[in-house]
Amino acid sequence: MTQIAAERYTGASVKRSEDPRILTGGGRYVADVKLPGMLHAAFVRSPLAHARVLAVDVSAARALPGVVAVLTGAELEAMTVPGPDPLLALMGGGGPTPEYTLLATDKVRFAGDPVAIVVAESRYLAEDGCELVEVDYADLPPVVSAGLALDAGSPPVFANLGDNIVGPHKRSEFGDVAGTFAAADRVAEFHIDVHRHQNVPMEGRGCIVSHDADSGIVTVHAATQSVHITRMGVAMRLGIEQDKVRVLAGDIGGSFGLKIGVSREELAVAAASRAVGRPVKWVEDRSENLSASGHAREESFDVRAAVSKDGDLLGLDVKMVIDTGAYPVMGTMVPAIIEMMLPGPYKLAALGFESTAVTTNKASYVAYRGPWASETFVRERVLDLLAKDLGLDPLEIRLRNVAPRTDPPFTMITGRPLVGVTTKESLERVAHAVDIPAFRRRQAEERARGRYLGIGLATFIEGAPGPRSPEGPSGPMGLEFMRLRLAEDGVVTLFTGQMPHGQSHQTTLAQIAADEFGVPFEQVRVVVGDSDVVPFGLTGGSRSATMTGGVTLHGARQLKAKVLEFASHLMEASARDLEIVDGEVLVRGDPDSAMTVAEVARQAASGQFGSDVDPDLAVEASYDGGEGGWSGGSHCAIVEVDVETGMVKVERYVAAEDCGALINPAVVEGQIRGGIAQGIGAVLLERSAYDQDGNYQSATFMDYLLPTACDIPRIEIEHLETVPLDADVNFRGVGEGGMIVAPPTVVNAIEDALTPFGVRIYEQHLPPARILELIAASTPA
Amino acid sequence: MVDITVRVNGATHAGSVEPRMTLSDFLRDDLDLTGTHVGCEHGACGACTVIVDGRAVRSCLMLAVQAAGSEVTTIEGLAPEGTLGPLQQAMRDSHSFQCGFCTPGFVMQASAFLSAHPDAGEQEIREALSGNICRCTGYQSIIDGVLLAARRGREA
Amino acid sequence: MKLPQVEYEAPTTVAEAVDLLAEHQDEASVLAGGQSLIPLLALRLARPAVLIDINGLGELSGISVTDGLVTIGAMTREYAAEESRTVADTVPLLAAALPLIGHEAIRSRGTIGGSLAHADPAAELPAVALALDAEFVVRSQSGDRVIPAKEWFEGYLTTLRRPDEILVEVRFPTAGPVTGAAFQEVARRHGDFAIVGLAVSLALTDGVISDARLAFSGIADVPVRAADAEDLLVGERPSPELFEEAARRATAGIDPPADLHGSSEYRKKVAATLVRRGLQAAADNAHERE
Repeated sequence: MTQIAAERYTGASVKRSEDPRILTGGGRYVADVKLPGMLHAAFVRSPLAHARVLAVDVSAARALPGVVAVLTGAELEAMTVPGPDPLLALMGGGGPTPEYTLLATDKVRFAGDPVAIVVAESRYLAEDGCELVEVDYADLPPVVSAGLALDAGSPPVFANLGDNIVGPHKRSEFGDVAGTFAAADRVAEFHIDVHRHQNVPMEGRGCIVSHDADSGIVTVHAATQSVHITRMGVAMRLGIEQDKVRVLAGDIGGSFGLKIGVSREELAVAAASRAVGRPVKWVEDRSENLSASGHAREESFDVRAAVSKDGDLLGLDVKMVIDTGAYPVMGTMVPAIIEMMLPGPYKLAALGFESTAVTTNKASYVAYRGPWASETFVRERVLDLLAKDLGLDPLEIRLRNVAPRTDPPFTMITGRPLVGVTTKESLERVAHAVDIPAFRRRQAEERARGRYLGIGLATFIEGAPGPRSPEGPSGPMGLEFMRLRLAEDGVVTLFTGQMPHGQSHQTTLAQIAADEFGVPFEQVRVVVGDSDVVPFGLTGGSRSATMTGGVTLHGARQLKAKVLEFASHLMEASARDLEIVDGEVLVRGDPDSAMTVAEVARQAASGQFGSDVDPDLAVEASYDGGEGGWSGGSHCAIVEVDVETGMVKVERYVAAEDCGALINPAVVEGQIRGGIAQGIGAVLLERSAYDQDGNYQSATFMDYLLPTACDIPRIEIEHLETVPLDADVNFRGVGEGGMIVAPPTVVNAIEDALTPFGVRIYEQHLPPARILELIAASTPA
Repeated sequence: MVDITVRVNGATHAGSVEPRMTLSDFLRDDLDLTGTHVGCEHGACGACTVIVDGRAVRSCLMLAVQAAGSEVTTIEGLAPEGTLGPLQQAMRDSHSFQCGFCTPGFVMQASAFLSAHPDAGEQEIREALSGNICRCTGYQSIIDGVLLAARRGREA
Repeated sequence: MKLPQVEYEAPTTVAEAVDLLAEHQDEASVLAGGQSLIPLLALRLARPAVLIDINGLGELSGISVTDGLVTIGAMTREYAAEESRTVADTVPLLAAALPLIGHEAIRSRGTIGGSLAHADPAAELPAVALALDAEFVVRSQSGDRVIPAKEWFEGYLTTLRRPDEILVEVRFPTAGPVTGAAFQEVARRHGDFAIVGLAVSLALTDGVISDARLAFSGIADVPVRAADAEDLLVGERPSPELFEEAARRATAGIDPPADLHGSSEYRKKVAATLVRRGLQAAADNAHERE
């Protein structure tokens, strides 16, 4: 790896530039923004899961003092351009396209489905107005499960589809599936369920939209993961050109995938603002966020595993059903990623995969941190189950099946090369850190005393951004852009389409730019969140470390070259002899020649040069990810299960991670720990529950339970020495891994704890009552 | 409407509020102190925590009218403008936060707790902060920030 | 989740509050700590016409002991009771339960009277009051009434308090010299409402249980005394076998509700476990105080 001249910042836990404002109440979230004349919106929402809308009477609501406008679904249709969900339009879907209106008109399709928007002088009055809207519903039988959705006798959620299949059944095979299964010593069968749970950022969705009548410009203050995708969605729905829409975003209170794209509510706010001629603000409250913003992960798997008697996992044949809820957004894209990722870092020789996606009368399936995570859950659960059946140790079966690191790299049966993957090393590292034999001795002692401890292991890889594709970069995530400029005050300014919502980009990217360009960290500014000013981009998919880190590194070098080229005219020296150190341009070896970069920039702006000198100290850089790469790791959890109450305590959690070179270790570890916490939450606490009539039951924080400081232990993290794939850019993404691998890690540990009871676990959500049920239903070993 | 006078961050404010207005909305909307965040509006997440008459409270579970005559401290008032107090500095040094939405509530709750329990250990701190929800960090970095502040306070 | 329109009164004397209740009856909700009422208002599940804010009634705060009775004013904040040396010394079961109520910020505002008047069957204080046969003093324009705990809790969030009455104080008996108390609960997370909770108090005389009080939270729409188990325990020496039998008796006839957090069978199993563990903890505490 090339050594940078002054490697001061990259690799260090530089203190965040975001923190002074975050810690003093100076953060600026969308709910904090106030515009003159601003009004507030609230939505009338269906209490029923499935019903025809017979009539909507808004007269009483409109008459309430302080209510400025009430717009029904029908009225909004008349003032907007129909179209698909913007994210779906961008990413491509395929499959049957459900037809529906922006807000519900003829029917409602889930409890919480918005039917009308009330705009008033305050949110208090808007909610008062909502209570006065009378909607006549005619109940329809609710389709509340995949089973019901697959039944041809169930009413279609979307009339134009005829049935409730939005991702028609398709099957792929890789390798010789039939032959592998026929020849295997054993074929084991499992049915595994992953439960519905959800993102729950601390800040919900929200936006403020205003229209300038003179210029025709629509300004959107958004909480989004991409100002450009929001812009696209708003422009499309309002039927105006994209360059008439400006999207601004300040600080964003978390997202985890929820705020990619634009929701129906936000688009309704945009239309309402245009109709009333005043800015309109909508900030969803927690019950809206829990019931209506969208859920994730409701998937079921029928798995057949072909295995040798010695524990070689030869083949998997998997049938998946995914419940994409009403108004499918990106759920139909998930099976393809799961199919591709199922082999993981193992030598799997054959894979059969088939999937069906259904629509139901529940909230939409949205992207949630590692949307394809169930592939790791299924695979790591299956390995433990097979290990038990064969009398093998969980570490042993994994080491046996891990793909060797070869050159050229081992390729997954589904096509992706495992370049730079260090699974074997991370398994050994985590095992060493935990001292499994010592734990087993302790486990036996404690069992004799009636205490049940267990240990669980799991490993994962994620494309962060994934290995270089032979076809080159593709799609909106394929290329990363950045504009870099040396401002007249000497500040190196980075304009990026990244939209940080906790990732600390304003710190990490500045670290790289400071190192590459040669200025102190404080002399770099990262500009985000203005669609007029930043290039296209989005934050998501664990890609920014590589893609944005890379474009920053190369862009800063390009900017430096340009600045030195210009400075060579000022200093009458060859650019080759110049360097930038600590914010000064100087002739190498001649400190007296030094000029601050600010002075250089001021000179450039003075306009006194001829056409042979380029004084525009800015570059437009792009980066295709270079060699890309995988992140991955192995996690280990030790739990204790109270078999009288079903309560589970995670006593210890260790992660051995390989995410390439670390830009800022504190930031990396924060991402890992946060993802793990969500994974622990999914197993022990979190469930987005519906009853059999489709009523949503987890609509407050008393029922949707998030883990607290008493639920998440200290998480020990060991970083592996990475395999560098590129001369310069070896940062790999780390945003999603914790959430992908923590659930199977914890479930494996719980099953291990309950070994004396003969418990086998085929599901991901294990609240205390369920643990006792599993114990009661099992036969002691 | 009810007329109220409240001291917030050392300054006296007179306002006229509907009885149903929460203290959190009063602070954010009427006084433009948007540092106090609203995370759930039913007292279950702690994001809205402020200090009223010396005690940490959930401002979404108080009516503005109930704060009449009281001394309220919000995140903006914890340290002089433009500076970080010792707890805030320790949290910065510990990389305590990510998206920042839960932050003011944590800082206020931790501040109140440390004032009363300067020698608290890790488990006590975790329990004291177990009513504040963070979705980004997994809590360890926050706990480390509070522990660091406590240690520095003892060494001072 | 904004509160609905509501009228507001802030009386400055108990007499004024009583007059307001006489006027508005069940159209009024009394606002004490607000930690239970305000969420109900925010969810628009409660729709009173008038809020009577009694936070200005300083005369309703305070803890005093007279003749073996500990009197706690209804507006006494939970944190004040938690910090009270008097409560720790004289009502150890209450002292054991208080730290389990929500989180510190909730206890900054929540009141002893408010929690007991709200009567959430999953809350800690109703079980404590029932276990100790506390007395509730309510006042109306007709004067004061004293209502024993076993009559106070009528149904889900319903007490014997009439709409024109205000709870002014709660009286607890002073614990005997050798009393062990424990409050055990199974809650999904630290500070949550209990799925099932148990208030236990044992008085010992020469190592023999002379008084036993057990009251559950979370197994019905009101707190429930485990009278059969109490009868079994009195006159016996603490032992695991005794506690095992007490657990059987305490849960034999119960039929707990089911919800998202636990089935009826689960609650019944947990209730039995809490009896065993709670009795052991109480017995251990009694020996420590000896």
